[in-house]
Amino acid sequence: MSPSTKEASVDIVYYIVLVPMAYIACVIFVVGTAVRLVKLFLEPRHPATLQIFPERRPRWLWALGDTFLLPSVRRHKPFFWVVLMLFHLAFLLLIIGHIELIAEIKPLQVIPHEVFLGRGFVGLILSLALLYFLFRRFVSPTKDLSVPEDYYLLILLFLTILFGSQMDWARRWYGYDSITVDSYREYLSSLLALKPYVSSDLTAPGHSFMLVLHIFFANLFLMVFPFSQIMHSFFSLPMNKLRRG
Amino acid sequence: MMDKKTRDALLKLFQSKLNEAMSLYLETCTRCGICTEACHVYASMGQVKYISAYRHEIVRRIYKRYFKGRGKIWPSVGEAKELSEMALDELYEAAYSCTGCRRCMMFCPFGIDTQMLMSIAKLLLIGGHAEPEVLTMLADTSIEKGKSLEIFKESFLAGIKRLEAEVVKKWRLEAGKKAIPVDVEGADILYVALAGAHSIIPAAAIFNAAGENWTLSFFEAVNFGAFVGDPTKTRLILDRIINEAKRLKVKEVCICECGTAFRVMKQMSGKQPFEVSALTEVHARYLKEGRIKVDTSKFKGKPITYHDPCQIARNGGVIDEPRYILRHLTDDFQEMSVDPRYNWCCGGGGGLVALGEDNLDFRMKSAKVKVDQVQATGAEILTTACENCHTQLSNLNDHYKMGVDVRFLSSMVVDALVQ
Repeated sequence: MSPSTKEASVDIVYYIVLVPMAYIACVIFVVGTAVRLVKLFLEPRHPATLQIFPERRPRWLWALGDTFLLPSVRRHKPFFWVVLMLFHLAFLLLIIGHIELIAEIKPLQVIPHEVFLGRGFVGLILSLALLYFLFRRFVSPTKDLSVPEDYYLLILLFLTILFGSQMDWARRWYGYDSITVDSYREYLSSLLALKPYVSSDLTAPGHSFMLVLHIFFANLFLMVFPFSQIMHSFFSLPMNKLRRG
Repeated sequence: MMDKKTRDALLKLFQSKLNEAMSLYLETCTRCGICTEACHVYASMGQVKYISAYRHEIVRRIYKRYFKGRGKIWPSVGEAKELSEMALDELYEAAYSCTGCRRCMMFCPFGIDTQMLMSIAKLLLIGGHAEPEVLTMLADTSIEKGKSLEIFKESFLAGIKRLEAEVVKKWRLEAGKKAIPVDVEGADILYVALAGAHSIIPAAAIFNAAGENWTLSFFEAVNFGAFVGDPTKTRLILDRIINEAKRLKVKEVCICECGTAFRVMKQMSGKQPFEVSALTEVHARYLKEGRIKVDTSKFKGKPITYHDPCQIARNGGVIDEPRYILRHLTDDFQEMSVDPRYNWCCGGGGGLVALGEDNLDFRMKSAKVKVDQVQATGAEILTTACENCHTQLSNLNDHYKMGVDVRFLSSMVVDALVQ
């Protein structure tokens, strides 16, 4: 294979990951999640209360507290709680960070910051937290409770975040400047506008490898999302409401 | 090997249990292990199979295999499992080592209800004729009694008659008043007891002391249908009490000291023209309204502790009332748990006590943490308001030589009544 055909075939693989696969992943994510939510909430309600007493009112407020502050974890596994809270907060920032990679959003600049927000620490916290989640599953009794998908999911998320953060870290900490925020914006906003455009910046030899791997794992993550335990992000609140009555 | 016909029938039963809440419970567990220390069986015996999430997985693996695409395409990823005779054995082990106390719900960040998931296991066991026979027998006997009330009525009334003298010994009545009224239309309270003098005499004496317009139900409160996890039988046993209450046009149905009976009646009877209360609530009310008075020196010098029956307290909401009563009975009340929601189960619920000697060894081993909890209070009297708890705690008292006096709360109230 001559160098030029090699490059061409790599370009094709890059394009498949960056465009068609990204679209397919988004469709599976949106449709899959919507279908699962609709199907589940169309099922008949349980005829009796499932609450735990004593009752606290307003119930919805306590259910919100249970969902977002995880008081039961704080009480029983304080260290795990710290890691879980850091992880989930960082994940929220990660989502905001990605929204800012699509377009400039003024209200988000209330606290002035450079895109991608978090000075590289968002990704670092997420990566370390994921390693903790993964390694604790190698130890009994959590090991005995875990099934393969629990490991696959954590590994997949870890890889996604590692390669994503790596791009952030390179720019932040090592002064790498071949791929800029503007290049990402151009790519992501073109995807959103259904006019996909992959600039040569993104696929140029070198760092682009990281970007493609990040997008590849992120696509896989979005595709398995609706069929995995990550659906707890939607189910947690209604379940906590059941417990609160 | 399980044949296809049996398996299909069992899967149909599984399907019948699916609703919104059950699906959420089946779908969401992340196996994070926060529930590890929640179960008294695990805390006492330390075996992984007794962790709540492990119990869930026994049911969930079958769910994945037959109800989820993932389990059909790639079963190993979630360890989806065939429904087989072996699986039934595992389901038995999971369901009949769980008392349905729901303490683990206090640990789970999502609030997954293990008792609900175990109800699938119990129903599959019934379908596979692998449930504890004695529970089905008890449920059937109970249903038969309800069907042919006329046959049982006479012996029931004769039995009640014999108890009346005992009731009067506890509380003297005006001449001409019945100590145990039965079948009184327009009574304010229908009291549903268990078959046993201990469940009728103290309650009757206290009703009489409070000048209550009450009547005793023909039926037993205990719902063996719920213990064995048979929704149809649970409903049959429940409905006949509902029908009796409607026929007599009572304002309130008061359930004796039986956790399951109270919770089933309170939470499953739906909207009815009557209120449902636990005997403990009624006694607290009488004290509050000054309708009965108790001698506070009756138990002087004896520290008292109270075991919150899971189905009455954490799962039924009756938490303050027993404490209100106990404040009237003693000035030396010792709490077992700072937060009653975290009280350890006695280890006898979910039909386990009804299995009697068969599982006595397991019940004793699995409730070691309960024994430690009771002993830490330094109490001499251990009181509770549930038949199953009372039996189990008495067994524990004998087995571990705890040296406490295990008593029903109602029996303490009746002993302290001031005429």
